[in-house]
Amino acid sequence: MGRVRELSGDASFCQRVREMGFGESAFVTKVGGSGPFICQVNGTRIALSHAAAMGILVEQLGRR
Amino acid sequence: MALPAHISSGVSAAPSRTPVYALVGNPNCGKSTLFNALTGLKQKVGNYPGVTVEKKIGTAYSQHGQPITVIDLPGAYSLAARSPDEAVTRDVLLGRRADTPQPDRILCIVDATNLERNLYLVHQILDLGRPVILVLNMMDVAAAAGLDVRAGRLERELGIPVIPCEAVNGKGLIELKLAMSRADLPLSRHAWDIPAPIAPAVAELQASLTANDRKPPLIARAEALLLLTDQDSVRVAGSTPLSARTTEILQGWQKRWEGEGTDWAGTLVNSRYDVIGRIAAEAVTRAGHTGPTASDKIDAVATHPIWGWMILGAVMTLLFLSIFTLAEYPMGFIEDGIASLSDWVKKDSGLPDGDLRDLITDGAIAGVGGVIVFLPQILILFFFIGLLESTGYMARAAFIMDRLMSRVGLNGKSFIPLLSSYACAIPGIMATRTIEDQKDRLVTILVAPLMSCSARLPVYLLMIAALVPGDRVPVATKVGVMILMYALGTFGAFGFAWLFKRTLLKGAPPVMIMELPPYRLPGLKDVALHMLERAWIFLRRAGTVILGISIVLWFLAAYPKAPEGATPQQQLAQSFAGRAGHALEPAIAPLGFDWQIGIGLISSFAAREVFVSTMGVVFNAESKDDDTTPLRQALLATKWPDGRPLFTPLVCFTLMIFYVFAMQCVSTVAIVRRETNSWRWPLFQIAYQTGTAWILSFIVYQAGRALGF
Repeated sequence: MGRVRELSGDASFCQRVREMGFGESAFVTKVGGSGPFICQVNGTRIALSHAAAMGILVEQLGRR
Repeated sequence: MALPAHISSGVSAAPSRTPVYALVGNPNCGKSTLFNALTGLKQKVGNYPGVTVEKKIGTAYSQHGQPITVIDLPGAYSLAARSPDEAVTRDVLLGRRADTPQPDRILCIVDATNLERNLYLVHQILDLGRPVILVLNMMDVAAAAGLDVRAGRLERELGIPVIPCEAVNGKGLIELKLAMSRADLPLSRHAWDIPAPIAPAVAELQASLTANDRKPPLIARAEALLLLTDQDSVRVAGSTPLSARTTEILQGWQKRWEGEGTDWAGTLVNSRYDVIGRIAAEAVTRAGHTGPTASDKIDAVATHPIWGWMILGAVMTLLFLSIFTLAEYPMGFIEDGIASLSDWVKKDSGLPDGDLRDLITDGAIAGVGGVIVFLPQILILFFFIGLLESTGYMARAAFIMDRLMSRVGLNGKSFIPLLSSYACAIPGIMATRTIEDQKDRLVTILVAPLMSCSARLPVYLLMIAALVPGDRVPVATKVGVMILMYALGTFGAFGFAWLFKRTLLKGAPPVMIMELPPYRLPGLKDVALHMLERAWIFLRRAGTVILGISIVLWFLAAYPKAPEGATPQQQLAQSFAGRAGHALEPAIAPLGFDWQIGIGLISSFAAREVFVSTMGVVFNAESKDDDTTPLRQALLATKWPDGRPLFTPLVCFTLMIFYVFAMQCVSTVAIVRRETNSWRWPLFQIAYQTGTAWILSFIVYQAGRALGF
């Protein structure tokens, strides 16, 4: 469980991530995966490739 | 609350005109299911000119039997389009496409289990100033997940009709149709405050768009907001470039914000999400914490680093087994049907013996028939793809493949196009439309034809039959050679993707952000409809492009005429095709091919499987059904002028390798031309594929010779 702190990377990537509800202050739960990741954001499951995940800085809020 | 008169809007045109609804929503929210439920079989599937995005228009009927036109727009997360699909959605809604009527009203479908994310697009659409009906789909799934989604509350917040619905079970359709037939629909009363640093820019851009770009005021506001939602204003403007004045204003603001360090685009999205978050919090209550859902449990296995691969492997094996075994019987029927049609024309149709009859039987029927034979395989492929998509597994397959794909610089979304290409590169290339990054999409298009499609199968089968004579060789050897060819094409595709991503189409490492929809039972009706649509597109192509090519090829093989009494072989030898074969011989002799094989290479540029029928004509051996024995014997008896056998095992093997890589398919060239909108890429593709084919064949043949084969 964590909260998105900062998005980095190219502008169009940030924009798409925000538009998919992954914007700053969104709550994220990592569900699985290590190469590509699976995250749960607002009831949606989103798969992120390694490169995509690297652009999203998440502040950890405690373990589940 | 009564609405003031001026914000009530009916369908303004004459009552005789059919109202036009656009159906929009996020991917995976059940949009296609709703479209099928509303329109049934009354659908027209075509293409938006210029881009290969499917255009689906259907007719629904109101409760009183009045027709209503519904345009099914491609799924999108935002009006700030990223892929060609999303650009179509944006352009139709903004009335930019001359080929599509601007919708009078908009049906927004949202997934009730994920209201917040879905409302983002709705929020943008409300800016368009058209009447909107909100369809809250998957209410059953939401209830099962412990969510209480109150439509009435949402209706009050947004000021537009909100219809709860379960499109899969047909629940809520009557209410929806009633709403759609209303003469008057309210415009949304919902207003949001554009963030203060951006509001003056929106106003200024709106004024300029109205004055200089002749946009209607409300559309101008929506366009202004979109221009500011994306850093890349050229992309937003699409095919209609902005006027100089508007561009100047836009750039002026962007410079100012950059100086101040304001992230204008991010601010806009975040402020929309703030509003949406409040609305969603009002409308949705979560009834406590529910345990892991069924989807969670399935995913724990299906996306597991080890089990996931095994399941994917099993699914793919099943898919290929079905394509190659189940399709056998219907393919046999089709072949028999074509043969008896051809016989009928020859014997009983009353057509005189001559060129016209030959044109019909040897040109049209043989050419089109040779392609229609693949229809069962294509149907099975699309049935499976439809099934996998409908259940939600396809996204998991792409997720699992992403690890592999990212090694060569592609992302998981390239998996589906490449998988489809095993059946036929054409649907594969069409499936690349969902890849957002233009470079990734282009790389996928470039390598897709390297996957061994089913048209190569007859060539492989014939060559394996000639390569390993008789029944002395175990089946395993034949299968082994076959698998080797498939593997060669697959690794070739990955290799070239890797190469292109590092040279020609250099780009950032692929970023994949992909939604994994919850698992569902497949909607068989939707799968069937999808499959039939594909079949129809395929048949239409066979009836037009391929028919034309077949006729041209027949002409090339039939003229100029040999003197009376010549055998078919002599006729072919001195025809245009035969002369081309002779002309080609110097280029292919280093591969061990002679002019007769050359004719096959030329004619099979129409479609690879034509090679087999051409060989039948060249060596004057009728092969019936799958039994290639007579042709095989004819091939083995063929000799070079100096008496060496032509079809040595090495030549057969080399020929197969040539077919793995060579771009021998005019239909693929045509579709790549249309997809990339230029001749540059298809020509490049022909050059690199056929060049690779030649070089590899040369190496294999010469090395084989040197080793004494």
